Amino acid sequence: MAEISRKGNSIISRIKYKWLNQPLFSTAVALVIMIIVQTLVLGFDFDSIGSWFSSWLNNWINILRNNASIGIIALGMTLVIISGGIDLAVGSTLVATGAVLMMLIDVGPNGILLRLGITGIPAFIIAIFIILLMGSALGSLIGLLITKGKIPPFIATLGAMKIFRSVTQHFMQGYNPTVPREFLAISNLKLGKFMIMPIVYWIILSVIFYIISKKTVFGRQVIAVGSNEKSARLSGVKVERVKTLVYTLSGLLVAIASIVQVSRIGSMDFANAGSGSEMDAIAAVVVGGTSMSGGKGQILGTVIGVLIIAVMNNLLNLFGVPPFLREAFKGVIVVTAVLLQKKENV
Amino acid sequence: MSIEFKDIYKSFGTNQVLKGVSFTVEDGEICALIGENGAGKSTLMNILGGVIKKDSGDIFIDGKKVDFNKPIEAIDCGIAFIHQELNLINDLPIYENMFIGREIKNRNRLLNHKEMLDQTKKIFEDMNINLNPKTMVNDLDVSYKQIVEIARAMMMNARTIIMDEPTTSLTEKEIKRVFEMMLHLKKRNVSIIYISHKLNEIKEICDRYYCLRDGNLVSKGLVSDVSTDDLATFMVGHEFNIKESKKDFVKGEEIFRVENYSKSNIFNDISFKLHKGEILGFTGLLGDGRSELFRSIFGIDKADLGSIFMDKHQINIDNVVDAIDKGIGYLPKNRKENGIIKDMNILENATIVVWPKYAKYGFIDIKLHKKIFREQVKSLRIKLIDETENINNLSGGNQQKVILAKWLATNPKVMILDNPTQGVDVGAKEDIYEIIKNLADHGMGIIILSSEAQEIVRICDRAIVMYHGKIQGEVFKDSLNEHNIMKLATGGNIKSEVG
Repeated sequence: MAEISRKGNSIISRIKYKWLNQPLFSTAVALVIMIIVQTLVLGFDFDSIGSWFSSWLNNWINILRNNASIGIIALGMTLVIISGGIDLAVGSTLVATGAVLMMLIDVGPNGILLRLGITGIPAFIIAIFIILLMGSALGSLIGLLITKGKIPPFIATLGAMKIFRSVTQHFMQGYNPTVPREFLAISNLKLGKFMIMPIVYWIILSVIFYIISKKTVFGRQVIAVGSNEKSARLSGVKVERVKTLVYTLSGLLVAIASIVQVSRIGSMDFANAGSGSEMDAIAAVVVGGTSMSGGKGQILGTVIGVLIIAVMNNLLNLFGVPPFLREAFKGVIVVTAVLLQKKENV
Repeated sequence: MSIEFKDIYKSFGTNQVLKGVSFTVEDGEICALIGENGAGKSTLMNILGGVIKKDSGDIFIDGKKVDFNKPIEAIDCGIAFIHQELNLINDLPIYENMFIGREIKNRNRLLNHKEMLDQTKKIFEDMNINLNPKTMVNDLDVSYKQIVEIARAMMMNARTIIMDEPTTSLTEKEIKRVFEMMLHLKKRNVSIIYISHKLNEIKEICDRYYCLRDGNLVSKGLVSDVSTDDLATFMVGHEFNIKESKKDFVKGEEIFRVENYSKSNIFNDISFKLHKGEILGFTGLLGDGRSELFRSIFGIDKADLGSIFMDKHQINIDNVVDAIDKGIGYLPKNRKENGIIKDMNILENATIVVWPKYAKYGFIDIKLHKKIFREQVKSLRIKLIDETENINNLSGGNQQKVILAKWLATNPKVMILDNPTQGVDVGAKEDIYEIIKNLADHGMGIIILSSEAQEIVRICDRAIVMYHGKIQGEVFKDSLNEHNIMKLATGGNIKSEVG
């Protein structure tokens, strides 16, 4: 059957086939349409093309900068969902690692590294190292709960989400660390004329994870585990190890996102930071064509998914849609994306 | 209740399953229905139970002509069908299970637990069942679950009970319990149609037998007039498929040995040897424990006891990866569930086991995989257009060859194949037999698990027949025929031969 539809000659049937069989194609088309709409809304001005372009570019840099950390988190989420799981703990891990990071580099009276006499670049390196370790540790803890403790991923990460946030909030009560100015350079350093460091991090990590997912034994094993765990196990895939590693990587990426976040803004609202970012990441992954039942999905799709949601937010802004209504649009776009995706024949 | 079938025909598509079967069951009679897999037993009983419709022929119950369109009509006529997979809800107590779908409610439309409990108690007393109706079904062993199903049938005024292989998963003691219940029912004039492969049990409990083969009734009569040997002969047909003249297998060196492998209630004290280039069959009926045995040997499940030797050295297998490293390959049964990975392409399905082995710094060496697989495509005669297509685009036979390719890529010394020709067409079946023989000729030790005696006779050099988790006997050379396998598989013995 696939043979026939593939050989259909008309352009329409070819597009239809691609749309149904290549999730990347449909998401990319959706993104292009949204960008066109966005460009039209911004108004195209032939007379002063230079200034038009620079405002268009600035708008885009803003969009990408604001979404870099969710984009980074979504990369890990993609692997988790492909493996057949889910990670609800990313938002809380973000706030927990962010808080520890700020305590470490705090230049106020309570700064941990400061009191140890370590400041400046060495302090930043130590702090970043500890944070990356912490994110990975929290992730592998979740992974072990799921594989060794045999707890469903939804429950394990739901529990972790509550624990991480609540503990962080408790210890950060009334504590207001001061992030040193130099640390802000991590995200605010100018490349040429542009402040695009977060975007650069996001792109680099996307490329790395694209390669992991496509070319490495681990990446393909993640797909095998998500598609058919039994077969994978019988084929000698160390299923428990693969799953634990997936959550570890997710934790590591969240830690990186928290570094980007803290260095970009210089502060963090411990009560609310990262809350809802698990849902934003899941939404981006799903819009990007990854199947919630596991086994199917692509890193590139997730990148496009993040962009679609980001452009939509931008459009809502430009149209002046009231803030409370914006979440509704996010909901609509997620549901529509999945409606348009190819469904498994039951 | 007396039941009479006259000239029943049934076909599925072009496949004629029942070719004019006539059959009677008298009041209070226990009637055995025997035949090999695919003989038409289940189809016949499903027609009686109203699950499927006959093409032609008549059914009379107590002399009255009936025609069932739905299971409920058969139930209303007093026919109860107790399936092999029991139809009870584990998380409810016995008395609620007795009333599933027909719950007694009080005036407020709520469940009337007391009334249901009382009625259950009453029927248990009537039938001499010593069970507390409040016990959770989960806590019952299989024989008691069966008894609960029988009691439920009786409560619905069943006068004929069809039992489909009720004893396959029971222990000797539990079988006794079920038999007692059957005799009790017989005294109360309930008729029982008993489907089973276990000929000893049929001798013990049944009055009359009917034997089906290929949709025909080939023999019927009183059980007291025949021996279990006769019954086995009826089932496989009079002319045994004489084995195609097989090379006299000369035992090579021992390459694989299992000693005293045991797992409580599943398999017991299994010891055997496998030689270089030998094709060794393992067969038996449902519940013989062979699949579970080899799952344990391959490290998927844990056994309680036993040791494994490869090339006469003891090896330790804790998990699948160990087994693969030690040179064992395992093609599982149920390809869809255990074999293929549906979201991956043909090449990936054919190489997943060797990914780690050929990886460079964790990266997949796709060129090497392609090279390995392309050779296999030739030698295994896999028909495909493009190796990057999804595995689902292949036919069953070709999928099975891909799974086989994945194991051959590991160069195993011992290859275990569980039901290798399941769901493949005739042509592919022949191909797979040929591949297996070829591998053995090149020195691989091969173990084939199959429930089809015909297949075992056709391809194996030697076969071990299991019964209730134990080795019931071994057949080879002249003793390797369907008749002997059937006898052993049903719990009988064959004359021991010098070997």
